[in-house]
Amino acid sequence: MRYSSIADAYERIEATTKRLEMTDYLVEILKETPTSLIDKVVYLTQGKLYPDFFGIEIGIAEKLAVRAVARAAGHREKDIEEDMQKTGDLGETTQKFMEKKTQSTFFSTPLTVQRVYETLDKTANSTGSGSVDMKLSMLAGLLSDASPSEAKYIVRTVTGSLRLGIADMTVLDALAVAFGGGKETREELERAYNISSDLGRVAKLVAEEGIERIKQFEVLPGEPIRPMLAERLSSSAEILEKLGGKCRAEYKYDGERIQAHKKNNDVILFSRRLENITDQYPDGVEYIQKHVMAKEAIVEAEAVAVDPQTGEMKPFQELMHRRRKYGIQEAMKEHPITLFMFEALYVDGKDLTLQPYPVRHEYLKKIIEKTDNVKVAESIIAENPEELEQFFEKTVDDGSEGIMCKSMNQDSVYQAGARGWLWIKYKRDYKSEITDTVDLVVVGAFYGRGKRAGTYGAYLLAAYNPDTDTFESVTKVGTGFTDADLEKLPKLLDSHKISHKHPRVDSTLEMDVWFEPKVVIEIRGADITLSPIHTCAMNIIREGSGVAIRFPRFTGKYRVDKSAEDATTTQELVEMYRGQLKKIDG
Amino acid sequence: MFKAKMADAKFLKDMMGAISILVDEATFDLTPEGIKLRAMDPSRVAMVDFEWPKTVFNEYSCSETMKMCINISELLKLLKRTGKDESVELSLDEKTGKLKISIRGNYSRTFNMPTLEAMDEEVPTPKVNFNVSARTTTQGLREAIEDASLVSDHVRIEADNERIVMNAAGDIMGAKIEFKTGDDVLLEMKAKEASKATFSLSYLSEIVKASVPTSEIVVMEFSTDMPIKLDFQQEKDGKLKFFLAPRIEVE
Repeated sequence: MRYSSIADAYERIEATTKRLEMTDYLVEILKETPTSLIDKVVYLTQGKLYPDFFGIEIGIAEKLAVRAVARAAGHREKDIEEDMQKTGDLGETTQKFMEKKTQSTFFSTPLTVQRVYETLDKTANSTGSGSVDMKLSMLAGLLSDASPSEAKYIVRTVTGSLRLGIADMTVLDALAVAFGGGKETREELERAYNISSDLGRVAKLVAEEGIERIKQFEVLPGEPIRPMLAERLSSSAEILEKLGGKCRAEYKYDGERIQAHKKNNDVILFSRRLENITDQYPDGVEYIQKHVMAKEAIVEAEAVAVDPQTGEMKPFQELMHRRRKYGIQEAMKEHPITLFMFEALYVDGKDLTLQPYPVRHEYLKKIIEKTDNVKVAESIIAENPEELEQFFEKTVDDGSEGIMCKSMNQDSVYQAGARGWLWIKYKRDYKSEITDTVDLVVVGAFYGRGKRAGTYGAYLLAAYNPDTDTFESVTKVGTGFTDADLEKLPKLLDSHKISHKHPRVDSTLEMDVWFEPKVVIEIRGADITLSPIHTCAMNIIREGSGVAIRFPRFTGKYRVDKSAEDATTTQELVEMYRGQLKKIDG
Repeated sequence: MFKAKMADAKFLKDMMGAISILVDEATFDLTPEGIKLRAMDPSRVAMVDFEWPKTVFNEYSCSETMKMCINISELLKLLKRTGKDESVELSLDEKTGKLKISIRGNYSRTFNMPTLEAMDEEVPTPKVNFNVSARTTTQGLREAIEDASLVSDHVRIEADNERIVMNAAGDIMGAKIEFKTGDDVLLEMKAKEASKATFSLSYLSEIVKASVPTSEIVVMEFSTDMPIKLDFQQEKDGKLKFFLAPRIEVE
């Protein structure tokens, strides 16, 4: 097949803004394409060589493309660059210069789709020393044989600027007409795409084996499923109404959404955008290998960074230390993760995507072996708004983003690649950021684990309420301590250790150790939220809730100059909460 | 079975250096009579036509005609490790598809490298009636091209019975270089009719620079707006010729 057929179709597609016409042109070109090339043509029309999840990009820098055009057209790089400043599009500039090509060639042969694809593929795969020269000569070779219009599209393709506006859905429309037997088959094709994320494969399959084969399309470990997305509401009553009065509400952890594919002992991890991130999480891979009790499975989890000393969840920013190519082992030690599983989409030959959510959840519970680092996302079944609200506040207080409320109806399938009302996010609308530090009283502690075994892992802190003359718990802190602090603080506290909660301390938590309210330390937190757990300002802002400081961190300052009664007061915290409310975007 | 030995490795190194200017992956024809290669650069602007009869080698045996494709810049890296008065032997293991390169002299070492899938494309030589033929020293031509490269990226070559004139015009500077009959650099000059053609200097300079070590005299042939042929005369038997397609002059 000549590459010119494709370039011609591109010209026509580019000239129209109507999606219907665009689809018609695509249908024409797809019908003209030999079956064996359908996948390649589909990838090419989207400016790609493979589905995104392969992670292979053509990746030619504009500078290198300019050199290739200069060589093929026999013009100077400088002139090409100057013209590009004017047109703003290297493709157009290329066409212009190829029309006034000054370098003749020997035995030019017309470009075929195969040759273009294979050359670009080679270019994409060449790495290491000398690869730049290789890429340059391969691309220049292709351009030498290209017509000006073909050259334009080749250059746009390699520089990642083939913006034809052919969306996935347009390709699916075209496939339905070209091979499915009509527009109405688009839904089946779309499902196949949504559960394989590979338009080329779907296209080739429908062209070769017809729509009947597509109807039997099932998920396959190794091929990522386009993630299901949630709508959003900000009241528990509305959510329950939408979901039919009952839902399972799940913790929405502040981490990275991961789709894990397990095939015997092989594990692939995909990000939410379906990039292969297996290499970033060797620990995640191991957890899936060991604690997903199925030979083959596709599960979804939220990977959350945890403090290696205290086991406490850390905010998303901390997890971003794991986004790296090098030093993965070090990052893994410093920022270990816990996987909170929330979906089972495929288990040992069974495609669960069309099963209702309660069934999928049963499967999930069955195959996950719980450990310190592998958990099923905490959830409750809520049937009234109060329950939902309580749970919501508890999760936020724990450092979560909010909750995910999932339909439990018969029709609650996994809507791959779609945003719908089967899942509803309940996120905080407002948060209060603390710009100032606060001084809080240490009133209790948990024993530490790991590196902090034998000492305290986290401390319970309280604010002072002068009205009641009590110390009300407001947060637990485990970060910001140096080794010296870890030695000093227990010594400071141990003379105040008591066997029970101090009568002036107001807390609902069960601590390992309690202290007299004496020692004051300085804390910096990220924001103040409502909390059903902490007793500080209970019922003042909202019935049944107190306030809490999220993501607290010890600043290193011991306020020995302050007595416990000089600590930040409940009233001050309420002011902070009210005074600094900020609308959260998105 | 293919095996060929050369007493002076430099000879092979220089030749591979010249060929590598145009091709990365080179497909050689190995025959009982010798080895040859004809290939174009990926942009199809230039072509190399190389041949070494078996007499060039000190020892040579090739049982049947076959193709061997190798990454020539990789081979060149190995050959660059050879020193003065060292010998080199090439032998192809058809079973493993590996080319063995044994270098002997100060000490012995043997490298092996994979061969690649041979290209089937047959490259014909361009059919051109050349009106101009000039014998010059290779070094002289190289200097002239370097002069021209100072001011432009292309050069117009004109010739008649007495002289060759190279005109290079850049944005701000120009250069005119002349070889006249009687000059030391110009050994012989024939022109059926006055001719002129323009060529890319980057190709010309790379070709000539890389061929200097293999050849002292070059026969240059061209016609108006036709390809140029550069026939680098070899001391021993064998040939090394380059063809370069002209630039299209937009007046």
